[in-house]
Amino acid sequence: MTDGRMRLTLLGGFLGSGKTTWLRHQLHADAFTGAHVIVNEAAETPIDDALLARASAIEVLAGGCACCEARTELVERLRRLCDIRSRTASGEARLKHIVLETSGLADPGAILEAIRTDPMLVHHILVSETIVCVDGLHGLAQLVGEPLSRRQVEAADRLVVTKLDEADMASLGRLVATLQTLSPAAMIEGAIKGSPVPPPSGEGEIPEPLPELQGEASAIFPTRLQLDDRIDWTAFGVWLSALLHARGDDVMRVKGVVRTPAGRLLLQSVRKVVQSPEMLPAQEGREDDTIVVIGRGYRGEDLLKSLERFAGVKEQGDLSILRRAS
Amino acid sequence: MCANCGYPAAPGHWTETGAASPGDRLRARYRRAQVLRSVLPAYGLTAHDDGQMPGIQIGNHFGSQTIVRDLDEVWCEAERMLGRPIDPLDPRFLGE
Repeated sequence: MTDGRMRLTLLGGFLGSGKTTWLRHQLHADAFTGAHVIVNEAAETPIDDALLARASAIEVLAGGCACCEARTELVERLRRLCDIRSRTASGEARLKHIVLETSGLADPGAILEAIRTDPMLVHHILVSETIVCVDGLHGLAQLVGEPLSRRQVEAADRLVVTKLDEADMASLGRLVATLQTLSPAAMIEGAIKGSPVPPPSGEGEIPEPLPELQGEASAIFPTRLQLDDRIDWTAFGVWLSALLHARGDDVMRVKGVVRTPAGRLLLQSVRKVVQSPEMLPAQEGREDDTIVVIGRGYRGEDLLKSLERFAGVKEQGDLSILRRAS
Repeated sequence: MCANCGYPAAPGHWTETGAASPGDRLRARYRRAQVLRSVLPAYGLTAHDDGQMPGIQIGNHFGSQTIVRDLDEVWCEAERMLGRPIDPLDPRFLGE
């Protein structure tokens, strides 16, 4: 989609997972040229900005995590950037890209929601990618013990497994396999001190069984929905909006490419927030019309059944029973 | 931009992205109403969209009527009228 909105890349990952190291290398390799970098630190003392001197513009948001205490301040800063950009004369170079490095305690989903629901930011900022760093050394233990770490992985479009040189191959393979079950739609990359290194494939490895955590109802699992000709985009949209309204806390992530009358759309949601779908260039993709739904607290097969009801694929029986309050 | 409040119109609901031409948009609107009419009556609610007036009209059998802007508001309004959200994964809805 070539609208005039600024792109925002969200960089997350658990405490000490190598976010800043990775970002520093990317800046050094000119990956985010001209981007405005915002670093959020949960602690009061900023350290990371000293490491990131190469960015063209950098500011630090210290003293609170941007997904909770410092959320208003983050929104404030982003608004200011939008303001400055709007005032830039058309001939001059305008800011096109923001990179937001979150604190290790941030839930990317919460930040996405803050941007998506802000009446001003939604017109100016499009979150283009969520990148999450996973500690190659401690990642597995964090996934087992920390619900937050799982939420971060679930929200990612791209996972970067860091510290590949410090961990042994067997546990890395296991980590990759676990990541694939948690976030099947995400691309997985590897990095050593920020420079890209292919990670182990994780093929044939058994994913680490993730125990149920306190307050977490049951295991999170992915479901693939294969859409065919009988299910049209409009019916799918009605269904998904209803599903996210009723089950938004259970259905954590939806991602896929759907063919519509207007072209191919990249659809993605994190919890209740659906990003405005992005138009993709017209080409046959193998994964077209496959939607991955990640969540818990329902049966995978019910998703397709329910979708088919909405699309009118199956005849509806007597549903008068539903009128009675449950 | 809204002429009354001076505030830019919200970008359309995400489901509206799938139709680019006016014809497709109208078709999608009718289809949306059709899908809603196949779901809502089971809950004692009605949906109406004539393709001209903006919004979707949601009502219940007690005569209450509301015009909502998009699908998100449809489900919020349905929840308000019913006192509980419409759950597409409800076993009874799935016919079990």
